[in-house]
Amino acid sequence: MKQAISLSVNGELHEVDIHPHRTLLEVLREEIGLTGAKEGCGRGACGSCTVLVDGQAVMACMTLAIAMVGKDIRTVEGLAEGQELSPLQEAFVEHGAIQCGFCTPGMLMSSKALLLENPHPKKEEIKKALSGNFCRCTGYAKIVEAIAAVAGDPK
Amino acid sequence: MKSFRYISANTVQEAVALLKDYKGNVKLIAGGTDLLGVLKDRILPGYPEVLIDIKTISGLGDIEEDAEGLRIGALVKLADLAKSPLVRKRCNVLAEAAEAVASPQIRNMGTIGGNICQDVRCCYYRYPDQIGGRILCLRKGGQKCFAVQGDNRYHAIFGRDACLAVCPSDTAIALSALDARIKIASTNGDRVIPFNDFYRTRGNVLEADDIVTEIQVDQVPDRAKQKFTKVRSRKSLDFAIASIASIVTVEDGICKDARVALGAVASRPIRAAKAEQAIKGEAIDILTAGRAAEAAIIDAAPLSRNAYKVEVIKTLVKRAILS
Repeated sequence: MKQAISLSVNGELHEVDIHPHRTLLEVLREEIGLTGAKEGCGRGACGSCTVLVDGQAVMACMTLAIAMVGKDIRTVEGLAEGQELSPLQEAFVEHGAIQCGFCTPGMLMSSKALLLENPHPKKEEIKKALSGNFCRCTGYAKIVEAIAAVAGDPK
Repeated sequence: MKSFRYISANTVQEAVALLKDYKGNVKLIAGGTDLLGVLKDRILPGYPEVLIDIKTISGLGDIEEDAEGLRIGALVKLADLAKSPLVRKRCNVLAEAAEAVASPQIRNMGTIGGNICQDVRCCYYRYPDQIGGRILCLRKGGQKCFAVQGDNRYHAIFGRDACLAVCPSDTAIALSALDARIKIASTNGDRVIPFNDFYRTRGNVLEADDIVTEIQVDQVPDRAKQKFTKVRSRKSLDFAIASIASIVTVEDGICKDARVALGAVASRPIRAAKAEQAIKGEAIDILTAGRAAEAAIIDAAPLSRNAYKVEVIKTLVKRAILS
């Protein structure tokens, strides 16, 4: 039985008509057209589906979309200001933190969640915040550097 | 994922009534980080017709303190447990255990109730239906436990009972050492049982219309040293291959009290009672710690590929006592 629900994504309301067993990841990608969040494992282990719900990083592949009514959902598409990349996105580009790019949306959202809570994290705190996000290409070092650059001096 | 109907419960009464009405054809969903994996892989012979979302029940997500200690709602997220000043102050070993679970994202989604009720991770039990058909092992009502002669590296070293899969919960190990209590609601009302009575060989004591509503923890005295250690291949995401929660009080070099719970070694947290006996009232040194470590594993019955766990547990016990 499909249900018509309203989801708030990146500050905009989207009306979708979905079955209850659809995950947030499926609905973001297939109903709303936001394909930034990726399906890597589909089991909540790789982090490539990471989005923010009410400021917290979560695995969209393990979240039922129907349970997200009334929540503030943020995806990688919401980071940029129009055509301007956010400082975090710029830092990823400048520091070579992107190779194939598959993990990047998830990495950006996990680091965004960290910086929202802790604007000046130490390197160990950055690594811990990323401990739910896999990268097969970069070896993580550039990603951590990029975030550390945005974070500035840890307090 | 195969479809199901979805109902949000607004109260505990509503949820238990729904559980009773749907009689086994139903699952509760809180964080969903275990359940959705079980459903996606269709590992179980049955599939729920209905999911009851309990995240919408208010009043189960708080951490409250009283004179004895803490009352932790079953819906408290693992991330909130880990950073709660109340938990850190009164029963830090539980905060350490919560922090060791999985990854930041899963800790933001998963609840303590879900963490202690989560299903086992045995590779045969968890074999996905999509790649050749689910494995109907002993735990699922089949004839055979495939871990006996198969890959049992991560299975139990205590208890040759029917199922060799270990209890995967980290918070359960801390709660075992803490002698916590668990409050369960059903259509017949509420009951509170010792946490150490919560698990059985296969699963836990929850009946079809039961819901865990609260965990009660008595405050740990300041003079006790609490620690949770999780041994695993990677620093995050992995389940424990061995773990320990210890609450040890040493005064003037003499052990006044010891509570030691071992994880990933049995279908439930194991209180190392013999190890606790071995050091209570004794002077703490390398010899007594060694004796306690031997006592902890004296009843171990390792399988063909998990004898390493015996050594790991001995070391964990020694370190817990000597630290």
